[in-house]
Amino acid sequence: MAMAQQTVNTAIDSLTAALKSNIIPNQEYFLQGSILDSSVEVLLHRLRGLCDNVDTNLETFHDHEMCFSIRGPNNTQPLQLRVRRSLDHNGMPMQLRYIGQPEIGDKSRPTVLRNSIDIGTSNTVVEFLTELGCRKDFEYSAKGYMFRKGRMKITVFKVFKIDETRKMMSSGGFDALSPLTHSYLVELSVLAPSGQDAIADDMRCFAEQLRPLVQLEKIDYKRLVHGP
Amino acid sequence: MGVTILLSYPVPENKTGPQTVDLLIKRIGALGAVQSGQFLVDCETFSSGPTMGGPPRTVHVLHNSEQPAAVFALLESPGPPPKTVPLVADGLFDLLMLKMSSIYASKKQTRMEARGTRFEIADFLVKIGTVTMSSNFKGVLVEVEYRPCFIAGNCWELMREFMQSFLGSVVQNTPPPYFQVHNRLNDVYQPLDTIQQYLDHFASYRKVAGL
Repeated sequence: MAMAQQTVNTAIDSLTAALKSNIIPNQEYFLQGSILDSSVEVLLHRLRGLCDNVDTNLETFHDHEMCFSIRGPNNTQPLQLRVRRSLDHNGMPMQLRYIGQPEIGDKSRPTVLRNSIDIGTSNTVVEFLTELGCRKDFEYSAKGYMFRKGRMKITVFKVFKIDETRKMMSSGGFDALSPLTHSYLVELSVLAPSGQDAIADDMRCFAEQLRPLVQLEKIDYKRLVHGP
Repeated sequence: MGVTILLSYPVPENKTGPQTVDLLIKRIGALGAVQSGQFLVDCETFSSGPTMGGPPRTVHVLHNSEQPAAVFALLESPGPPPKTVPLVADGLFDLLMLKMSSIYASKKQTRMEARGTRFEIADFLVKIGTVTMSSNFKGVLVEVEYRPCFIAGNCWELMREFMQSFLGSVVQNTPPPYFQVHNRLNDVYQPLDTIQQYLDHFASYRKVAGL
């Protein structure tokens, strides 16, 4: 038996090999925009015409997202971690995401680029992060539609506040949601291994086809933050 | 996966680790077991630095070749009350631990590994391996899995009889201490239970080494 003689590689060795051959999708190309509630139907209609997953009904989602941060020594930039769970499908794995600082780059770069690690986890992840020393900065729920076009993911969703007073109830406060704005957030993203910049041009072309309904742009978060 | 019991097999004074492993392999072979590949369980331990404040927290990150797509993390929190929080995650969790290396540093000298040969015999899966800590020999571990059953309490007697047939009096007549707390004899057995048993054994090997 040839297999019996083979030694097992450690998981770290396999991961290092995967990193070296650049097959781990650890970067996200990213564009954002928004559209008023009154016009969202038109956008959905156009997306149905452009995207792949439109044979059946619109693909919907309703997620709860919690944003955590953990500080390193010497007041370095805190590490940001996000936990997402589906409210539509109970018992599915939760998603833990590390998102790095977005790189805006110069005009020649069509999209924002940020490091990202996506990890499916068991439902103990919130307690795990809390005990690890992470602080919950904020949370919200996102409800909307998901489209695919090749490797691109397009989400159109509303952001809702979570009613703190109803949180202890069996519904977790997710039955009486109050929207944060009168518009939908539109995101276009691709997860890819580093160095696949060609996909960013595809994204720019796709974004062009949604104009003028929605302007998908590189959002510079630093300009939105006032003070430390 | 079924109920799994992990036992430390003491190395007799006049024998070396590899000799002990050979002896056990001979005995299980005599019962008709067929070799089927290798196995590996490893454990790396991370500790929080002084900047976190309070007593240090420890994260043990384990991998098991039987579940190659999963990473198991066990966080020992000083509390209060002190508790262990388990997390089962995708393989990329290891990358996240690297990202946190300035907050949680790896104690490389305590990296532990159990490595050896896998055998199949009827409904049982038997793994005989040596434990090393940063490549120093620490002991011999025997893992026995009874694959058709998920409740330890329902198959303990049968497993005990099978284990005693090749491990002898090393196998106690009562279930191992791990199963005697938290009603684990009657709970559905999960891969995490195997990982916790490995961690318990690794911890006691470390204690002997005084680390």
